[in-house]
Amino acid sequence: MTDPSHAGGAAHLLVILVSAALTDNILLTRFLGMCSFLAISRQMKASVGLGLAVTFVTTITCAINAALYVWVLRPYGLESLQLILFIVVIAAFVQFMEMLIERLSLGLYYALGIFLPLITVNCAVLGAALFMTNRNYGVTEGLVFGFGSGFGWMLAIVLMAGIRERLKTARIPPALEGPGITLIIAGIIALGFVGFSGMVQP
Amino acid sequence: MEHDPHLQRVLDRMRSGVLSRDGFLGTDPRPLEEVLDADRSAVAALGTTHEEVAARLGEVLDKARAGLGTPIRIGDRLVATHREAMGRIPCPFGGCGTFPKGEVELTDPATGESLFLTALGIHMVGKHGFYQGRGSRYRLEPTALGRLMQLGGG
Amino acid sequence: MDGVSFVLTSTVVVAATCLASAVVLLIAERYLANYGPCTIDINQGSKKLEVRGGKPLLATLMQQQIFIPSACGGRGTCAYCKVKITDGAPPIAPTELTLLTDEEQQKNVRISCQVKVRNDLAIEIPEALFRVKQFTGVVERMRDLTHDIRELRIRLVEPAAIEFTPGQYVQLEAPAYGDNPEPVYRAYSISSPPSDKGHVELIIRLVPNGICTTWVFTMLKEGDEVRFNGPYGEFRLAEGDAEMVWIAGGSGMAPFWGMTRHMREHNVQRPCTYFFGAVAQRDLFFTDEFHDLEKAMPGFRFVPALSGAENDGWTGEKGLITQVVERHLKDGSGKEGYLCGSSGMIDASVKILKAKGIPEDRIFYDKFT
Repeated sequence: MTDPSHAGGAAHLLVILVSAALTDNILLTRFLGMCSFLAISRQMKASVGLGLAVTFVTTITCAINAALYVWVLRPYGLESLQLILFIVVIAAFVQFMEMLIERLSLGLYYALGIFLPLITVNCAVLGAALFMTNRNYGVTEGLVFGFGSGFGWMLAIVLMAGIRERLKTARIPPALEGPGITLIIAGIIALGFVGFSGMVQP
Repeated sequence: MEHDPHLQRVLDRMRSGVLSRDGFLGTDPRPLEEVLDADRSAVAALGTTHEEVAARLGEVLDKARAGLGTPIRIGDRLVATHREAMGRIPCPFGGCGTFPKGEVELTDPATGESLFLTALGIHMVGKHGFYQGRGSRYRLEPTALGRLMQLGGG
Repeated sequence: MDGVSFVLTSTVVVAATCLASAVVLLIAERYLANYGPCTIDINQGSKKLEVRGGKPLLATLMQQQIFIPSACGGRGTCAYCKVKITDGAPPIAPTELTLLTDEEQQKNVRISCQVKVRNDLAIEIPEALFRVKQFTGVVERMRDLTHDIRELRIRLVEPAAIEFTPGQYVQLEAPAYGDNPEPVYRAYSISSPPSDKGHVELIIRLVPNGICTTWVFTMLKEGDEVRFNGPYGEFRLAEGDAEMVWIAGGSGMAPFWGMTRHMREHNVQRPCTYFFGAVAQRDLFFTDEFHDLEKAMPGFRFVPALSGAENDGWTGEKGLITQVVERHLKDGSGKEGYLCGSSGMIDASVKILKAKGIPEDRIFYDKFT
């Protein structure tokens, strides 16, 4: 994070954002958050809902976890504890959000609330936090990286949901119906995303 | 395997002891999606559709219900007997209202083969393409339906 | 020394993080999920309840001893616990949408187990529900009336007496057993007369795959404690002395068995013909009792009918119950119809009674069938 080549703060953050969302897409290049991706992408509406919820939770938990890591774990040399502490933070935060959203906006609660328990166990949220510490990001960078990762995950699931809506009327070999064809499509999309990889160097 | 929360709610309602004592999935080890996919292919192979199957079964149910418990001949081979029960049962998929309980046993006396039809079961075939899990009393095995009802002209 | 301090600091850091999360959640629970005291106004001020918010309306009302009929016990599946919320209702939840028709939504009808009490509410419920209580009792007698119909006689313990009108029903609680994770409630008409305040009798037919009936037939024993709530229902004898036509089948016998004994006790002379349909002789019950009552009650006639093909030695009426009614009932004008049985029987009976000239609003049956 103190790399002198990234002196221009805003540009640096933009690079982090774009790489997290596109070239380093957490779902398509790391295959994280795959189980909910396969299950939920059957339906467009649910995909958008879950995507929004993941984006939101990833953004905030990455920032909190970055703060925890930079200000507590690293100074005391306790980096090895990051895994369990990140899980605690994510679980507590999701619970907290559920209560907060229910209080503030019932409409939002009905739209997102049912997805929040699913997110506690979504590995993309934890994965984003761990990648972030690997790359030595600070709190602001963590926030941006979290948003980028979550947005990238949402992008991928919405893309897939769109394709699967089309697939409903397509003729698919019976053996490939369901998860089979979905994984093949995910692979093809991933190849497309890899094509972005030369564009930005985080 | 994670599920869409809506689907999870449907699965919860299909479990035994929630809406009916034995639930809707019987002893079927397959996940619901697979049951639906397999039956869709099986019905397509018979050359018919869920709606058509449901319509045919609905006719049988109506005829048998009018018998108020006495066996009614269906076509020239089959016998249908309605067994009344009071009360109504909601559809586990949700949003479809409730259906009268009570079942119709559809038998082919020549072979002894029989199926149990219910208003809810027929609704689920027509609206959701769900024939219930194997091992359930109310499983409507598409091949058995094909044999008994001579669906798809076969 | 490094090792010791590492263990110490990690313990402190982990404990502190968990503690901080727990404190945040506790504070959130205290302030965010706490909806404070709320007022529920029932039927425009006829009753006002002070309750703690945060729980579903159905459960909140139940805590206040107001019982809304519910078969699934608050799981949002049976759609029985509908309540009209005239003021303060939250937006309709997705779980409710699937259970409400458009018309109901416009009339502010809601599924009370899916509506959380978060603020003051004004609701409307039938006044009769105020009289519904939760009862515990003991099974005093259990006897088989036919091969698949059983009668339960329950001695009330707490409260020790029940007030109801003949034709009303109670909801029997089948406790969690086997795979069943939670108790369920099923409606059964009371078959005993209201004069016997310390008991209720229920007539229950075994339903294949039925949660409650299987429990009654396989687990319940004499001397066991049972719980039920009630009485519910609008099914009752209308005022006046119009001639009555009763039609029942199977366990639909229950309300009429209570009504007949009630009429006998009060010496009601109202003319009445009771058609009871069954398939075979083994499905008939209380036949002798009803023939005795016939002798004691001048206007009362009991007409059992069998529809099965093989009924050797049966000299009574034959055919579907609707055909028997068709033969016996010359003119329905000025008469009233009372029905209890399966939905198929009710549909068919309504049709025949209307054809005979009984107007639809003079034909009564319970909606739970």
